[in-house]
Amino acid sequence: MGQKVGPESKLIDMLSVLIISIFAGFLGSLTGLGGGSIMIPVLVAFGVPVKYAIAASMVTIIATSSGSAASYVKERITNVKAAFYLEMFTIVGAIIGATITSFIAPRFLYFFFAGFLLTSFLGLSEHLRGEFPKRVKQDRFSKWLELDGSYYDEAAKKKVSYKMKNAHLGGPCMLIAGLAAGMLGIGAGAFKVSIHELILKMPSKVSTTTSNFIIGITALAGASVYFASGLLFVGLAAPMAVGTTVGALVGGRILNRLPNRLVRYLFLVIVVALIVQMLYEGITST
Amino acid sequence: MKRALSEEKLDSLISYILIFGVLVSVALEALGIAGYYSSNGNLNILFRPSFAMKETDFFSYAGKLFQELSMGGWSPMQVLGLGIVVLMLTPYLRVVASVLYFGLARNPKYLLITLFVLLVLTASLLQL
Repeated sequence: MGQKVGPESKLIDMLSVLIISIFAGFLGSLTGLGGGSIMIPVLVAFGVPVKYAIAASMVTIIATSSGSAASYVKERITNVKAAFYLEMFTIVGAIIGATITSFIAPRFLYFFFAGFLLTSFLGLSEHLRGEFPKRVKQDRFSKWLELDGSYYDEAAKKKVSYKMKNAHLGGPCMLIAGLAAGMLGIGAGAFKVSIHELILKMPSKVSTTTSNFIIGITALAGASVYFASGLLFVGLAAPMAVGTTVGALVGGRILNRLPNRLVRYLFLVIVVALIVQMLYEGITST
Repeated sequence: MKRALSEEKLDSLISYILIFGVLVSVALEALGIAGYYSSNGNLNILFRPSFAMKETDFFSYAGKLFQELSMGGWSPMQVLGLGIVVLMLTPYLRVVASVLYFGLARNPKYLLITLFVLLVLTASLLQL
């Protein structure tokens, strides 16, 4: 279904992509899945070749990530130094991942995509949404990297100071996050946040905002490879960039007004549907 | 305290680069889509090789596009392409700004780290 595209094929128009992208950006922002994870399986269902969908999504992610990262950086919640250290690993991973995608048979991508969607469940883990890490004993390398900081937490109404640890482990783990992101055209946010919180011991808000910040650079690294591979179609990427940015903006504004239970049900329904769709494509593709 | 204050400047600069880049890019994409419709009467996406953003590398594409735009014309496809170029340059510029900042702040550790990020990105955008 996905790869049989003649040179004159008309699969989907820009208006449809724009409308779908607004919904994908909206739902991606509400559920924490990100627009790319939703958009790619939907485009594939419309017959767009998976590699074209991945390449366009990679560019789109730069817009949604940069748009939302801007305010968090200004509010000084994002830890910019930690982001730069971790980006050294994610960009190398993304370049390797995107290079693999340029050559690999599309069939494998469907299965990898479905498999990696399972890491989204990490975001549901209770201990990732817990309190601020306490009594973190910083190792010498993390201290040398100046991986500490403070920010004002609006919800807790207090200034939160924190220190990170295990930078020597967190970095290489981010290589895997970058590899998956570059290969599948997604932000891999849930995976990155898990590394930040479980290994580096970042506070929850610093973790999600720093992950968002890193996603933009990682996506640029992956997009640079797709650019040279001829997989990037401006007619597909442009409406996706506009739609997901608008959708994510609206989603981010109403997230706090929705009950947590509704958001979790929505998340479960969407992830299961996306996994089923990608497995179906993988099994039926020749 | 001094470190926090000076890093605040970097954070503000990065924030402005990101906001400006995304706004300009999204505006160009919206303008390009509207222009495409007005000149073609439809919004079909054709997956022809000639519609792919294909060039040996990103900077060659951007250079060629800027050259074409400087000669006038500004076709909807060129405006769409420009939107993508601006979008891709946005995070790249924030890395450039950070390298300059850490250089001026005489922080050799982060100068090296940001320089590594910049070099890898540049090499990949140039397809070296």
